[in-house]
Amino acid sequence: MTVTFENLNAGDTIEGASFAVTRESIRLFSDASLDYNPLHLDDEYMKGSFGKTQFGGVIMHGMNNFGLITRMLTDWAYPAGAIHRRLETRWVKPVRPGDTIRPSGIIKAKQVTAKARWVLIDVVVRNQDQERVATGEAMIEFPA
Amino acid sequence: MAAAQAFETDFWKDAGSRKVWDDIVPGEPRRTIPYTLTREAIELYCKSVGETHPLYFDEAYARATRYGGLIAPPSIHIMLMFACTPADDWMRSPGTVNAGQSWSYNIPARPGDVITLQARALDKFIKRERLFVVHDNVFFNQNGDVICSGRGWTIRPA
Repeated sequence: MTVTFENLNAGDTIEGASFAVTRESIRLFSDASLDYNPLHLDDEYMKGSFGKTQFGGVIMHGMNNFGLITRMLTDWAYPAGAIHRRLETRWVKPVRPGDTIRPSGIIKAKQVTAKARWVLIDVVVRNQDQERVATGEAMIEFPA
Repeated sequence: MAAAQAFETDFWKDAGSRKVWDDIVPGEPRRTIPYTLTREAIELYCKSVGETHPLYFDEAYARATRYGGLIAPPSIHIMLMFACTPADDWMRSPGTVNAGQSWSYNIPARPGDVITLQARALDKFIKRERLFVVHDNVFFNQNGDVICSGRGWTIRPA
């Protein structure tokens, strides 16, 4: 069924595609995002500690999660004629090579404003152990 | 790929010239660089996160949509942040840890757009011995239209 503002309900879910994280996927994201922070590339460096945090090995870019959530939201919104307007995220657990992550969303609320209609979505990215690695909130606009 | 070739990928190289947490003045504008967004850069970014929507790749398809032509995914600002800042910008300090971000989207970026960034640290604080900076970023196209605006929280290397 095509998604419309009218037929959406709180609790409805959105499933994103799973994503296999490898050293190659992290390297590709570095090349694509121009973010060559050694956190993502240098195992020796990652034996140290960072602002009181220790990772023990290279980690995926947090913004790679952001990109996967965005992809899920836009692929969901475009066919409905809706527009992805906002995404807020927090990283709650590092993602490492060998992990498989998947974003999903759950409709939290709908709200009508003076000139538009909004769908508020709680988003989460989980790893293969169903642990939350990123959480956030999104806003999708359905033109009135 | 001229832009990518010119980009310094060794983030250690200019590390000595970057501001540390103590030097960062909240409210002070960061130096930024205009960047011309290319189809190739959009396609490479799409590949890295598995984006396959024809709006980003298929010109004939995109022209027939309400967007009237190819666009970039909203999250292209991830790349624009580094494309629009110089090598001595403190976002590139090795060990910078991204703690979270929020972004609002106005209009899409498109191939050929000349994109400018207005950026600053808005705030800095210490929490549980960690050195935080709050980032304030707005991207514009060549017409002065806002593409997107965002806040970020990073933990600075000690």
